[in-house]
Amino acid sequence: MKASIAAQDFDAVKVGQSLPPLVKRVTVEQIRQYAEASGDRNPIHLDDVFARAAGLPGVIAHGMLTMAFANQLVTDWLGDRSMLKRLQGRFAGMVVPGDELSCSGSVASKDEASRRVVFNVAVANQRGEKVFTKGVGEAEFPPQRSDHHAA
Amino acid sequence: MTDPRWVGRSYETAPFEVTERSIRDYMAAVGDTRDDGELVAPPTYAMVFGFDAYWQLWTDQEVALDTAHLVHGEQRFNFHRPVVPGDRLRTTGRITAINPRGDLELVSFELASRDQHDEPVSDATALFIIRKP
Repeated sequence: MKASIAAQDFDAVKVGQSLPPLVKRVTVEQIRQYAEASGDRNPIHLDDVFARAAGLPGVIAHGMLTMAFANQLVTDWLGDRSMLKRLQGRFAGMVVPGDELSCSGSVASKDEASRRVVFNVAVANQRGEKVFTKGVGEAEFPPQRSDHHAA
Repeated sequence: MTDPRWVGRSYETAPFEVTERSIRDYMAAVGDTRDDGELVAPPTYAMVFGFDAYWQLWTDQEVALDTAHLVHGEQRFNFHRPVVPGDRLRTTGRITAINPRGDLELVSFELASRDQHDEPVSDATALFIIRKP
């Protein structure tokens, strides 16, 4: 396994600090691309007629696409995808093509002994409606490097 | 209403061969293409190598979930180690709860993915909400 290249210094992480926001515009093309890449070709994501017959306004994005954005918010800040140990949340609202999603997050807690940091994460659409709530991520920072050789 | 007797039913995927192509297709689809040097899958790629377990659940003719009215309610992942090209991963998914709640039905599905050495790679819990038509 490669040496970690965390962009953040564990000691400098402050509880309450915000992560740089991430904005994503969802398109029909992206939903199709996600369906192909993930294998999830449920017609509610691909077929407007089917989606409307199921009582939806039209095709909706996969919840897991929104969760991938929440993932990216955290790993972009960490600078290392391998540090993320936990990610969870609730899909609180539908995401449809044309939506512009704003992902936000902050440091909820840090633990010196385990070198773990917990984040709160949320995603809202262009109307401020929350589409991903109760989001929590947890990262483990690599062991502190020491220039001194232990005896 | 889904019959609660299906709680405990489980599904296993065939081994999923993780390729650079598959990871890069996923990264392109979600727009997470930052280059870290050595290629490591974004953690939520767990949905890709585990997907067949979800698919087996959704298409199980005996359980007969009303997938036209099914939405993904919640998702939780625990990542035990990063996923890289060359990994060969198997996922087992198990129905752990089927509960009515008002006009909705909640179905919980727990997944565990292991690698070619039978070491744990990630676990997940999905909650699906089925709106009664």
